[in-house]
Amino acid sequence: MAVALLIPFTFHLPPAQGLMLLGAAYTSTVAGGAVSAILLKIPGAPANIATALDGYAMAQRGQAAKALQVCFISSAIGGVLGVLVLIFLTPVLASWALGFGPSHLFWIAILGVTIMGSLDSRSLVKGLLSGCIGLWIATIGYDDIQGVERFVFTEHLEGGVNVIAALIGFFAVPQVIEMLEGGRHAKDLRALGVERHSVLDSAREVFGKLRALSIGGLTGSLIGLVPGAGGQIAGIVAYDQTRKLSPRRRHFGEGESEGVVAAETANNAMVGPSLVPLLTLSVPGSPTAAVLLGGLLIHGIFPGPDLFTLHAEVAWTFINSMLIGQVLMLVFGLYVARLAAKVVQVPAPILAPGILVLAVIGTFSVQHSMADVLVMFCLGAGMYLLGRYGFSPAPIVLGVILGPLAETNYVQGRLIAEAGDGLFAYFLTGPLNLLLIALCLASVGYSLVTEIRLRRLEADWGGGPTGPVAERWQQALSAGLLVLLALWVAYVSFDVRDPEPYLFPRLIAVALLCLASLAFLRALQGRNRTGAGIARDAAIRIAPGLAVMAAYVFLAAEGLGFYLASALAFLAVYALYDPGSHRAPRVWARRLTVTLGFTALLYAVFALLLQVQTPRGLLL
Amino acid sequence: MKALKHLAGLLALAALANPATMAGTAGAADYPDRPISLMVAYSPGGATDFQARIVTMVAAKEEYLGQPVVIINKPGAGGKVGWNQFAAKAKADGYELAAYNVPHFIAQSVVFKTKYNIDNLEPIANWGADPAVLVVNKDSAFDSVDDLVAFAKANPEKVTVSGAGLYVGHHIAYLQIEKAAGAKLKYVPHKGGAPALKSVLGGQVMAGVNNLSDAYRSRDNLKILAVADLDRNAEFLPEVPTFKELGYEVDDSSVNFRGIMVPKGTAPEVIEMLSQRVPEMFKNDRVGKQMKVGGSPLRVLPRDKVVAMWKEREAFLSELLKDLKQE
Repeated sequence: MAVALLIPFTFHLPPAQGLMLLGAAYTSTVAGGAVSAILLKIPGAPANIATALDGYAMAQRGQAAKALQVCFISSAIGGVLGVLVLIFLTPVLASWALGFGPSHLFWIAILGVTIMGSLDSRSLVKGLLSGCIGLWIATIGYDDIQGVERFVFTEHLEGGVNVIAALIGFFAVPQVIEMLEGGRHAKDLRALGVERHSVLDSAREVFGKLRALSIGGLTGSLIGLVPGAGGQIAGIVAYDQTRKLSPRRRHFGEGESEGVVAAETANNAMVGPSLVPLLTLSVPGSPTAAVLLGGLLIHGIFPGPDLFTLHAEVAWTFINSMLIGQVLMLVFGLYVARLAAKVVQVPAPILAPGILVLAVIGTFSVQHSMADVLVMFCLGAGMYLLGRYGFSPAPIVLGVILGPLAETNYVQGRLIAEAGDGLFAYFLTGPLNLLLIALCLASVGYSLVTEIRLRRLEADWGGGPTGPVAERWQQALSAGLLVLLALWVAYVSFDVRDPEPYLFPRLIAVALLCLASLAFLRALQGRNRTGAGIARDAAIRIAPGLAVMAAYVFLAAEGLGFYLASALAFLAVYALYDPGSHRAPRVWARRLTVTLGFTALLYAVFALLLQVQTPRGLLL
Repeated sequence: MKALKHLAGLLALAALANPATMAGTAGAADYPDRPISLMVAYSPGGATDFQARIVTMVAAKEEYLGQPVVIINKPGAGGKVGWNQFAAKAKADGYELAAYNVPHFIAQSVVFKTKYNIDNLEPIANWGADPAVLVVNKDSAFDSVDDLVAFAKANPEKVTVSGAGLYVGHHIAYLQIEKAAGAKLKYVPHKGGAPALKSVLGGQVMAGVNNLSDAYRSRDNLKILAVADLDRNAEFLPEVPTFKELGYEVDDSSVNFRGIMVPKGTAPEVIEMLSQRVPEMFKNDRVGKQMKVGGSPLRVLPRDKVVAMWKEREAFLSELLKDLKQE
């Protein structure tokens, strides 16, 4: 994403400088996305989802500074490790990495699916249900492998649900709405303490987590090497493995620094190796690497076998810039960790509209698409409701990422198998397939054993108060609505003339229907004990803010022009939820100053620096 | 009286300030007086994107457009999202251009219900042509198209061939090759040209149809068997024969042509001005050098040639794809 935004930029720079910028950006965005993941539970990139799980819990406990320091130190360790793999093992690994075919990638995706149920969820049924919702969302839109449009009931969905739009919607919008729950006179909920924490202590802590470091480094490098696996899942896979092997596994999700170490080491260890196929064989292994290839070609540099001989100087400039990027990121990150206090202590009436506006422009700038913004907002509002009934965004987004990985590779594998020895032989034989299947089975088996031991299938996770639980009819209503959604998905997927492209939607529909019915039955029996539901007074307090946001997203952003609409929406939400008196001129002066300052900053960054072309209406 | 005069003055000012009226009247004379946007229906860093950036980099020079060209990427659904939006919403004032990819957008308009077709778009000029090539891994048993076809005839539907997606140049070249050889192969679509090439390099598929420019970069690890074009590519691969030379009736219908277009309804003077200056801009020395350095074949065609090429392609593709049409 950041690399894509910077391409136009580098075009006007001399090759060496342009490459240094791209290299540094490529390495540092992954670590940068962790900041909002830890402070606000909004991952900056799909890779940072696992970081949010324990990082945000640490920040909630008043350990924001420590969480950030731990995160940046492990990022740097992982990142340097990854670049070292790139430098020293490239010739050995390049051909090995190419050997991964559709069947192997399919099993890697399934390995991810086995993690979905236990990720950030207190109930296995709801975790799996969330994951299936994500898998279904991924099938929406045009599929260029099978040449069909599926579930496109509005033209806004033609291009499908963009992963970044889904990530922002599912994580950021519910956070914004939650901040409004307190209403106008709420005590500032976000006045969390931020401790002073010594960097040395954090470093000692990170180096003490050898298990997490080695699992993260190894998993990250391996997943990074495999072209097409998508490094996005490296963090989650490493997090899950570390949790399963840790004696403190029951405390994961409650602010265990080992979880942050594993996730961030893996995320950054993935970066270097993901360039191996690109730099040696000119084959980009990930979407970001593909963007990077374009950036290299603009400067007339052909990655490939002779890159290190013909363009040795440029190649090394690029690789060194990645190393330097890691160091700068560490220094900058540790510095930011100290300033974190400021972000966490911004009052909710300012933070909420600020995050909303950033979510809107961030989503828009990915594909210059207003449709993505609408999809983002609608998914987010839906996620808020689901979140009140014990569902979590992490497994949903994981589903959105894994869906296409599983389906595309299954379809390609099926075609190749039909020309070869058949489906069974293609997917189920060969050492690599068997190894990956064994890993999947081990993952499922281990989860089942612990589930049974903890009786989590019956009750909810042990430890810690679960808080108030919604009334039975509310729980039943929410699960009932999901049953209806599942029925609709099933109806659409089974009522088609050409069944072949609907194999995956059908499988997902059946799984959705089973899980939603189970959740519904459990809710009727009163055994559904997660999710606080929505109280009437909270709903009344949210309503005006939600109305402003909807008007902003659906009407104003395009009609009035992006920056004018953003300023108005920001001011409206701020004024509605700011406890200050509406009659005092000084209060209004403060509101206007903050709004203008925020809008000016927004304009400077997005319009002037990144040159994002936003919709223009009456004025800007 | 005085008040009325003021009012009339204000109205005239308002009319002048309104961009719509400006495009209608004053537009053609001092066009262009502000930066021009160029919509690319693919992601930044892709071949269409970086070529579009290269060929428009000298636009601001007085002898070309006198105004810079800003690239706006609207990717999604193989280009359909961007082109649909362009056909439905772009203002026909000469300030909103788009890059086209033939045969992709024409094939899509034949197979799917799209808002665009060759009748509501006006080509300006063509800048590049990237032919499809048939490649196999360098360790493959096939040394020529004949080897591959002989094997395929003995083993129908056993030769797997990768390519980027459905209804794009690669797929069309594949259909043509299959038809010309009289053999049944197995097409394995991928999400883009790069993963499709990776499958050939990694040995997951037996052969692949890919872009000449990408195959050229990986030529040390591939055998490039033939080019799906009318002539050999003298610049990059002079030693690789065309299908026609080898006796297979495959023409240039799958060649990926890239160029610039505007929506129908754009003022004739604007189209005239653009179609004179844009090809000159494509022929600029710096543009040519940069394209060559990036491994991208340049082929500049004027507007009338592109109009004819679009018509020819549509007729051909309607015939080729008529069995695949979706309601």
